Amino acid sequence: MHSIIQLFIRHGGLLTLVVLEMVCFYLISTYNDPQRQISSASWTKYSGQFLQWKTEWLDYLGLKEQNERLRDQVAELGTQLTNARLAAVPRRDTFVFQATVDTLNRKFTRPEFILIPAQVISNTISGSNNWLMINRGKRDGVQPNTGVITADGLAGIVRYVSDDFAMVMSVLHRQTKISAALKKYEYFGSLVWEGNKPQMMTLTDIPSHLKVKKGDTVQVSRYSLMFPPGHVAGTVDSAYLQPGSNFLSILVKLSQHPAAFNHVYVVNNKFSGQIDSLQQLVKDERR
Amino acid sequence: MNGVNIFPNIWRFIGLTTVQVVILSKVALASNGYCNILVYPLFILFLPVQLATPAAVFLGFLIGITVDLLTGTPGVNASAGALSGYIRAILLHRYAPRGGYTAKEPIPAPAYFGWRWFIIVTAIFFGAHIFWYFSMAYFTPVYLLKQILPQSALAWVLTMIIVLLYTRLFHPKI
Repeated sequence: MHSIIQLFIRHGGLLTLVVLEMVCFYLISTYNDPQRQISSASWTKYSGQFLQWKTEWLDYLGLKEQNERLRDQVAELGTQLTNARLAAVPRRDTFVFQATVDTLNRKFTRPEFILIPAQVISNTISGSNNWLMINRGKRDGVQPNTGVITADGLAGIVRYVSDDFAMVMSVLHRQTKISAALKKYEYFGSLVWEGNKPQMMTLTDIPSHLKVKKGDTVQVSRYSLMFPPGHVAGTVDSAYLQPGSNFLSILVKLSQHPAAFNHVYVVNNKFSGQIDSLQQLVKDERR
Repeated sequence: MNGVNIFPNIWRFIGLTTVQVVILSKVALASNGYCNILVYPLFILFLPVQLATPAAVFLGFLIGITVDLLTGTPGVNASAGALSGYIRAILLHRYAPRGGYTAKEPIPAPAYFGWRWFIIVTAIFFGAHIFWYFSMAYFTPVYLLKQILPQSALAWVLTMIIVLLYTRLFHPKI
């Protein structure tokens, strides 16, 4: 109490002024028409501004969640898209020509690929056999020998799976072999890494009569079981004739730089089990 | 406030308010705001020198709100009046004579401090009051350059003439 009195003695004039000015502002902005309009307009403007800031800030705080939701959506849309590419080939019988492009109508289409969003938690690019680890495992439906892609390109092939994680053989691994094709030709070959630059893979077994230009798109071939056919892999950098053969080796610049793996999608082929067992039958017969 | 006669202040309150409301506010209206003379702050200026600052601020508010209620602009003059009460305290402190004020100078009038001193203090005092008055009247900085500043300057010149005439004629001492 004493200090309040002291404060008033020292700054009484200023305190009185502030209190009275507040009263005046109230009176002015309540009982005078032009001033009331100005103050209410200003109030609307600045409170609107404030609300805007608040919304932007909340949006910013929600970005992570938003991001995760978008990834889930990308996975779902990617699933639909890859299946749509397959469904675009009409199934036909002798008389009825059915164009089954409605990917949502599962009666006519066979969803082949399911994408599982995952995040890369470790990655190497400097060795001659590189690996990455993702934060999805058996419990999330990840199986060995399935492809891993990013939105822009290829990432690798799942080899070992634990309950919650998986080891992925990077595209920069000597054993990685991906069935790929030039977009403008039907011919396909194998995309391998010969241990040179991290962003360069080699597409082998392309017949030498094909005219290949720098910048041509290289995509996953339609015979790939691990990767969604048509998914972009990279662009042609240069091509040379393999010594003593009629096939080209094409250096492919990957559209997804392996150093920048972050969000990836594990590609589950629903029919890989059936296809494998069919191939196994053929192998058994040969023996 | 020993020895201070409050009656001259009461008469000034009534007289200046009347002149302001009956004549000058009509003139201001008739001239579309270009002949705006504010004399009632003289009451605030001529309050006793020894008066405490909160009291001066409150009395400034009081005469302002009185003028406001009689002219129908609640708060505009009161805001300027309260500010003037505070500005006056700052000016009296800033322009205090050597050795401070004594009981021999009841009010800040030229009779005690000389015309030079009086004109400087009045000029700043009315400048602040008038500028604040027009700021409150327009209530937005949008009009600052086109309306508030020119009108304040004009009103200040006119008011200063009237104030100096008043002081010269009545030569207030208490």
